[in-house]
Amino acid sequence: MAATALPKGKADACIFLWLGGGAAQVDTFDPKVRGDGKKQAGSYYDAIDTAIRGVRVCEHLSKSAPLLDRCVLMRTITHSIVSEHAAAANLVHTGRMPSGTLQYPSIGSVVAHQLGPKTDEVPSYVVMGYPNITRDPGFLGAKYGYIYLTQVDIGPNGLVRPPDVDAARQDRRETLLAAMRDGHQKRNPGDVVVQAQADVSRQAFRLAGPRFMGVFDLNRESSTLRQAYGSEFGQRCLLARRLVQSGVRFVEVSYNLNFLNGSGWDTHNEGQLKQHLLIQDLDQSFATLLQDLEKNKMLDTTLVVIATEFGRPPEFDAGGGRGHQSEAFSMLLAGGGLKTGQAIGTTDELGKKVAERPITVPDFHATIHCAMGIDPHKNLYAGDRPVPITDQGKPVLEMF
Amino acid sequence: MRTTLPFVLLCCLPGAPAPPLPAGGAVQVEIYEDIAPGQTFDLSSAAAVDRYSEPAFAFIHTPAKFAPNAVPLDRSTPYYLRATYRRSLTGNVQFRLRARGAARFYVDGKMVAETKPQKPNTSSDDPVPPPVERGNTPLRPVVYPHQDSLVTVDLPAGEHAFELIAVVGGKGLFPSTGELAVGVSRNGEVDHLLGPDESPLLTDPAWEAYAAASFSRHYAADIVRRRAVSQEVTAAWDERHKNLRERLGTPAGGATVDGFIDARMKEAGAKPAASLTDLEFLRRLTLDTTGLIPTPDQVRAFLRDDAATRRRKAIDRLVEDPSWADHWVSYWQDVLAENPGILKPDLNNTGPFRWWMHQSFTDNIPFDRFAAELVQMEGSATLGGPASFGLATLNDAPMAAKADIIGQAFLGQKMSCARCHDAPFHPFKQKDLFSMAAMLAGKAVKLPVTSTVPQGEGGRKPAVTSALKPGETITPAWPFAKLVAHAEGDTLPAASKVDTRRELAAYIISPENERFAQVVANRVWKRYMGVGIVEPADDWSRGKASHPELLAYLSREFMASGYDIKHLAKLILNSNAYQRKPVGLSADQMSAGKRLFTGPVHRNMTAEQLVDSLHLAAGKPFDCESMNLNPAGDRPARQFLDLGNPARGWQMTALSNERDRPALALPIAQSIVDVMTTFGWRQSRQSPATDRDDAASAMQTLILANGVLGTRMARLSDDSWFTDLALSNRPVATLVEETFLRLMSRPPEAQERASFTRLLEPVYRGRIVAGAKARSTKRESDGRVSWSNHLSAEASLIRMEEERKLRFGDQPTARLTKDFRERYEDMLWALINSPEFAMVP
Repeated sequence: MAATALPKGKADACIFLWLGGGAAQVDTFDPKVRGDGKKQAGSYYDAIDTAIRGVRVCEHLSKSAPLLDRCVLMRTITHSIVSEHAAAANLVHTGRMPSGTLQYPSIGSVVAHQLGPKTDEVPSYVVMGYPNITRDPGFLGAKYGYIYLTQVDIGPNGLVRPPDVDAARQDRRETLLAAMRDGHQKRNPGDVVVQAQADVSRQAFRLAGPRFMGVFDLNRESSTLRQAYGSEFGQRCLLARRLVQSGVRFVEVSYNLNFLNGSGWDTHNEGQLKQHLLIQDLDQSFATLLQDLEKNKMLDTTLVVIATEFGRPPEFDAGGGRGHQSEAFSMLLAGGGLKTGQAIGTTDELGKKVAERPITVPDFHATIHCAMGIDPHKNLYAGDRPVPITDQGKPVLEMF
Repeated sequence: MRTTLPFVLLCCLPGAPAPPLPAGGAVQVEIYEDIAPGQTFDLSSAAAVDRYSEPAFAFIHTPAKFAPNAVPLDRSTPYYLRATYRRSLTGNVQFRLRARGAARFYVDGKMVAETKPQKPNTSSDDPVPPPVERGNTPLRPVVYPHQDSLVTVDLPAGEHAFELIAVVGGKGLFPSTGELAVGVSRNGEVDHLLGPDESPLLTDPAWEAYAAASFSRHYAADIVRRRAVSQEVTAAWDERHKNLRERLGTPAGGATVDGFIDARMKEAGAKPAASLTDLEFLRRLTLDTTGLIPTPDQVRAFLRDDAATRRRKAIDRLVEDPSWADHWVSYWQDVLAENPGILKPDLNNTGPFRWWMHQSFTDNIPFDRFAAELVQMEGSATLGGPASFGLATLNDAPMAAKADIIGQAFLGQKMSCARCHDAPFHPFKQKDLFSMAAMLAGKAVKLPVTSTVPQGEGGRKPAVTSALKPGETITPAWPFAKLVAHAEGDTLPAASKVDTRRELAAYIISPENERFAQVVANRVWKRYMGVGIVEPADDWSRGKASHPELLAYLSREFMASGYDIKHLAKLILNSNAYQRKPVGLSADQMSAGKRLFTGPVHRNMTAEQLVDSLHLAAGKPFDCESMNLNPAGDRPARQFLDLGNPARGWQMTALSNERDRPALALPIAQSIVDVMTTFGWRQSRQSPATDRDDAASAMQTLILANGVLGTRMARLSDDSWFTDLALSNRPVATLVEETFLRLMSRPPEAQERASFTRLLEPVYRGRIVAGAKARSTKRESDGRVSWSNHLSAEASLIRMEEERKLRFGDQPTARLTKDFRERYEDMLWALINSPEFAMVP
């Protein structure tokens, strides 16, 4: 495509909600005729109307449904990795298959690399979930990696002081450390490397200082709002909003409250039975996030993404759950200054195949990048090797 | 299962007479392979493939199997373990057969107890088994999913024959013994292991001690066995090297590393950096050879040596240290892209050839042999032979990836670009890479569609092109005739059955191919000096040698020594060039003409050096979860590897939680991995790397200062070396002195001594809490969670709680007052976090 045809959105931050395990499109954003949980294929729940005329979603998304005009549904995401979660999750995060000659960066790292943080007192990329390869900076290098936390009240790894170190003790520690640093410099006069290391050590503690760490203190929000956000996932969404406000560019929020139904979104067998708890929980947090962003006048500049590694078939497995399906499944974008209020692409009768307008993973990436003003065809460099940001991804132009 | 059998009745049963069994002493063990399925437990017509002994009836490790060239091999799965023993035992005795899979226990030829076969499990949402009921007994509980089978036998006076036969592994199972054991007890007392009198109790501490001893015993025995089994091959390599030495003749005398370095400095009018002090030298040297900081004992021994020879003696000593292998494995894991995945590997994963690399560096096999064996990719694929290197899961051009790695590692030919197109800035084409890939494949390979640059309709013309078309077939051929034109695969000792792999190995290590020796010599030089004589060290077509004569000298010495890395290392480590203060690396030094080596380049500890040195100094074991997401062992090795319990950084691996599931978290291991990745270690090595991305960063400072690992290392728990030091009776000044020696390998400066004494002195006298006892410091993870039940809600909650608890770090000692403890911990914290700690002198 000609470079001039690329749209340029106005989003300046992204909140990437990750439904790890493979959320069933027929039970969430692409409802079909009801199945029976056994032989009869189809959705597991009834469907309800949304704010987009003619577009229906699962009944357990009742809080988000009226807000769907702030969203674009992509119902025809398609790729070919169906058997393995890790490979599919890696594909959706990096937009590429492993080649063996490079490790490709995650989309969060690419955004961090392209845009950097909005202020230099915060990191550009934060993950709430488990650290793993799919979220890594790959060839871009550790500088474009993330700070992470696995549970909101534990706080960000490496930034939160150990529980038994209060401010006074930290002061004593830093005073002792300063003396060690100074001594080392004195013994190595004129050594610029020693000097540089000392500077890094000195400045590092600023990042863990009250300014950024205050962002993690959700008690600064009203209890009404905290309750509205709901579960641990909701609290993560609230924290995501606070992080974006503080200048963070990309926040990945994992929905992995697997204890609700056992399997999380990977609803094989019995995981299906309580899947509605996940959907309702997602619904409450997501709807509150949209409203909260809107209230803070951030929705237009914050792109919210709901992504997953693949979908699930309309048929049920022997245990009453669902297998994997990557040929056609749904993702969602919200806010970010996009042309929202539409559902793009249609799947066939039971949601097994794309009927119209397939969207590939590189297209999905290109759309996010364009929404954030990043050229998806621009080259990144692995050493001296040029590597385009997306593998020929074409942004979904209907959204711009 | 609990049964009581009257022995008299047993004796009356018909059956074959018990085979003759050895009496007393050690338990005799035999291994049988390839037993036909119908023949279960009938080993009468089979021949044992291995025989060894154990001190008692517990079989936690089994001997590794080696090919004639010492490469590790897989055993058949299942294989059988048979243990026999005779001793006298009288009266009512209870036997406890403990096994994960099928096993039978015989007394005097009669089966008295058996356990059920383990079934492969494809579930992941089984319920978590209930917590182990320990009751009042110190008996080691049955670890999920082991079984106990109990039987009481009334034994007449006299000697009896005891026999255990156990099935290990099998289709869909991991081939390990688990906690296979037989316990014996009377009157409800706690079991001893069956064996000689005084055999260990079946309690947690005794079992753990036995397991640790078993590991060491088998580790040492495997070394002896593989050296014995590979004597002929080793002799053949020696012969090859002897011939080479004769061909090379005696080198012109007088050449030294310093001769070449000093001459260039003089020419350029540059001054060398000052020499390192003895203590700085020892810290640098110990880190460079063993990957660890020196212990105070090593420092004292070094200082006791004669000043004129202590450096040379330390070098001779340290290149022979067993940790030499540990430190080299880390390096080659990067260069050779070792990338095992412990959970259904599908991200360009290899097998764990770390184990074969470690044994190779332990045995110090000649490096040409190392390269040849790697390239031939034989042995165990999943359990760590060179065949593990040949794996590349979900990669549609696996051998092209391997050819690229081999090219970079041993030939300085970086062919990564050629994966998809003709290299625009290199003297080779896509065809060259795929020709070599075909040599590795042993047959012609097809160019996959992904290995092309798209020439999209109406799109920009790509800057790169390829003469090859997708789907085109490329036949095996050696692409680097310029380096060496001819080589004979048959000349290699213990060569592969695959002709073209053998040939490829022969080309690479051919003495005519001087590039091989030069590339390896340059890598060793770079590892010690921080920058290569040729840069980039993995891509020689883009750089020139800064000191061609030095490179020629080193590579010739290397070849003449029989490709002995230790010889090469000693040449460099003994040089003045290595023993100088480090200098910064400026950008212009990256051009060969300006590189003078006025001193080694400043380096920080590698991630492995850092975590290993911290654990060494604190005296704490890694004690993290085992690198195994299916401890139940009910899945095959190709899906779930068991990489064991790490004791060193290189043994860590990517924790593979791409599924982002709390139940799959390994919190202690994660806290180590967090530090290592922040300091430049790659948990995923999808591609080869010679240089790490480990530039100083704020997160490095913070993860050490605030993270779980740093907190644990500074914590005065009852297993900390520093706690013992603080409890010993000595003046506070000595405590400060010893602490500095332990962490910084130097005495404190006057000012440091004064300020830390000031910190500790006011609370030093009353620091010891009378009567307080040491507490257990075990960092255990709940053994009930396994892949088979990780999708249950309970499994998630168990792991989330473990994570939360871990934040506090290790349980502090009660034997020191809180005020003193915190002050001393703060001192340790300040030393560990000082930039000096992590910088190589």
